[in-house]
Formats: sequence, structure tokens, C-alpha cells
Amino acid sequence: MSEVLRKEVVYLITAIVALTMIVDYFFGIQQITDAASMIRTWAVVISAMALALGTVNLMRSHGNIVRKRVPGRWFYSGVLIFFFVLTTLLGLLNINDPSSNPIYKWLFDYPYTSLGQTLYAITGFYIASAAYRAFRARNIDAALLLIAGIFVLLKNAPIGEVIWSQLPVIGGWFNDIGQVPAMRTFLITAAFGLLTYGFRTLIGRERGFYGEVGGGA
Amino acid sequence: MSQSIWNKLQMIDRRIIYWILFIILMIPFIRPLGLPVSITDQTKDLYNGLRSVKEGEAVVINISSGVSAWAECLPSLVASVKVLNQQKAKIIFWTSFVDGQLTYEAIINKVPTMKDRVYGTDYVYLGYYAGAETGVAQLAKDIRSVFTSDYKGTPIDQLPIMKNINKAEDIKIVLSSDTGDVCDYYIRQWRVPFGTPVAEIGIAMNYSAYQPHYKAGILFGLSNGSRGGAELEKLVGELGDATTTMDAINSSHLLVIACIILANLGYLATRGQK
Repeated sequence: MSEVLRKEVVYLITAIVALTMIVDYFFGIQQITDAASMIRTWAVVISAMALALGTVNLMRSHGNIVRKRVPGRWFYSGVLIFFFVLTTLLGLLNINDPSSNPIYKWLFDYPYTSLGQTLYAITGFYIASAAYRAFRARNIDAALLLIAGIFVLLKNAPIGEVIWSQLPVIGGWFNDIGQVPAMRTFLITAAFGLLTYGFRTLIGRERGFYGEVGGGA
Repeated sequence: MSQSIWNKLQMIDRRIIYWILFIILMIPFIRPLGLPVSITDQTKDLYNGLRSVKEGEAVVINISSGVSAWAECLPSLVASVKVLNQQKAKIIFWTSFVDGQLTYEAIINKVPTMKDRVYGTDYVYLGYYAGAETGVAQLAKDIRSVFTSDYKGTPIDQLPIMKNINKAEDIKIVLSSDTGDVCDYYIRQWRVPFGTPVAEIGIAMNYSAYQPHYKAGILFGLSNGSRGGAELEKLVGELGDATTTMDAINSSHLLVIACIILANLGYLATRGQK
């Protein structure tokens, strides 16, 4: 199959799927609804298969690092592969209810849960340090941002209300009058942008979607 | 040349800030402050929405938050499930996160009244669904095409709770707990086409993104991270993890403000010298 024909087939499939979804969403014609439902089920199944593909890719990538003994990295890749294989085997031993295996459950309840929560909590330390180093009132805009940020912080923390009962009110004003309209504008603009992008993709003008470099006209 | 105090104020070693933060986070654990938490409208509306569920009506709890978000999302989920149990609602859990099952198990362990409810009849965990927004869209139209069984492998048609439930119209409300934009999927694929009420239980970072939806009436309620959890715990009348976390929020927020003020005092005092 020539390169051109291969691309055209991809464009055609994309257009058919997109039109099917649009007609299903807005018009609800039974035959189209059934076809759309089938396509969505395919998409769910393909997404699940992509997880398996991702796993294979992960193992290949880290396997290469271990095989080549990449300095400073191979040990961590080895740990990843070891725990991946261990967890998979333990899960497969009790495939209907993996959590009934005490070692499998221990791996999730203690190392995984503790590490996951710790990693997230550590960001608090970085935020405190970053706030100290980055937030400078270098101009009027930055000063306004800082003042608004401090009021919103004091609105979210109950201590703000204890310091002065009007602090949450002022923080709420910045939030409701300042933030919400701006976020609404952003959401609506982004939605229009997405519509435009979708339409350009549909008519073959936006090539990035197809994995091509350079975009469209 | 020795530096002035104003210059030093701008160059405090980050390790000192880390230690100060660590210490002030520890203080509330030794001596809790227990400051009062006022209830915001979005949490009150979420609570009232949960209270409006009648006995036997089905509620979907979408878990798209893993263990890393437990500090922010789990207390609200626990408090919500407590209310739903009081209402004798049917609760259907599912997840789009690989570690969503841990969150489900944590909810079950933290809600004492779950032991009075029967798995498969009063509540069920259907497991993981792939496909992101496409998966959510398909769930709205045909749950059985995405889940053929629960996470233990029991066929969905053998679960009494799933009798007469297969699409968005059969669900009274959806609670989406997430750390990203999964709630948007439910807004677009459940709330807008089918009118199913949706509420968000998210991390604090999500609050600003979902507030326009709440203000527009698209979300019937919104829980803002740990603060939302503490408010829900107060409304339910059972104080829990989020209420404890509020002390840490108080002290850490004050430190961040103090850091900003100190650094800016130093900056403003030395600006003319640069």
C-alpha cells in the first residue's frame, strides 16, 4: 500500500468515527447510536490492550538499561523489573482476588501506599521553598498577584478566619470575582480552540493528530 | 564584604525552610489547635445533594484518585459514603486509576457502617475501566458493555444491586473523585446529555478549575481538598482525618505567607542597591 493511500485511509477512518460520534451525540438516530456504542466499546478494549503494550515497552526499555549497565540508572531499572515481576507473579497466583494473597496485599498496603503519599507530601516542602524564592513583588502586576494569593491562602486555612473574620470574605472576593470569570473565559476559549482543532483534524488540515510533523496549512 | 540583613532575608537556605516546615507540621500532632472550620456553600450543597438520595436509589462513585491523594480526597469520600449509607443508597464504585482499588478498600475500612451493608446488594466495586473519556461515555450508555463482572469476577447480572441499572438515567447522582480532569468527562458525557447530577471531590488544585462549573449549576456540589473533607466531616458530625489535617494546613499556610513577606521585605529594601 502506498504511503499516500495509507494516510488517506487513516484520514477516512478518523472522519467516519468522528462523524458517527457527532451524529450520535446530537441526533440520537438508533442505527448510528448502535454503531457509536460499538466503536466506543472497541476504544475501551483497545485502551486496555494499550496498557499491556505499555508494560512490554516499559520492560524492554528498562531491560536494555540493565543489559547495558547504564551508569547510575541500571540499578533502579533492576529494582523496577524485580518488583514488576514479583507483583505480577503474586497477582497471578490468586488471579480472581489478588488482594487475598498476604504478600501481594502487603506490597500495596505498606511500601506502595507509604511511598505514594510521601512523594505527594514532599511537594509541600518544595512549594514552601519555591514560594520564598520566586514570589517577588517586582512590579505592580506581581504585587497584586501576591496580595490576592495571600488572601486566598488565608481564606482556605481556618486560621485566616481566626485572625480576622473578614479575611475569608476578601479571599472569597478574589476567588469569585477574580478567579472564576478568568477561569470561565479560559474554559470557553479552550473549548472553542478544541472545536477548531477537531474541525481542522476532520478535514485533514491538522496533521499533528496523525503523528505527522509540521502541522497543517 | 558582609551582607546586610535584608540581603540575608532573601537568601535563607532552603534546608532551613524545610526544617521549619517539618517542625511546625509536627506541633499540631503534639498539641492540636482545633480551630473552627466554617462551612462553605459548595460543601453544603454537596452534603444536601447526598441527603436528597432516597432509599434504594443508585449512586456512582468514580474513583480517579490514588493513594497519593488520600490526604485530600479520602476524607470527603469517607464522609460521603457515611451519608449514603444513612440514606440506604445503593453505591456503585468503579475506578479509572490503577491503584483505585486501594482507595476503595480504604473507604470500606474507614466507614464503620459498611459492615452492616451487603456486598453485591447494597454496594459493589466493578473495578477498573480503560478508555478515559470514551470509557466514561460508554458507561453512560451501556454499563454492561464496559463491565461484564465485578472485580471478583462475579457476572454483573448475578449482582442484585445491578438489576435495572445499566445507563446514566438509572443513576441518581455521580461523585467523581479525581486529581485531574476526569470530572470533566462526567460533565460532558453524563451531566450534559442525560442530566445526571455530578459532584466533584477533588484535590485543592482542582478547586479553581471546577468552581465555574459549580457556580453555573453544572456541578451540584464541590469538595475542596482537605478543607472540603473537614467541612463534610463537620456536617456529618463525625470528625476525622481531614479535621486533623486542618491544623497542618493552618501552620503550613502561615509559614508560606511568612516566607513570602520576609523575602519581599528583603527585596524591597535592597531594590535601590541593584
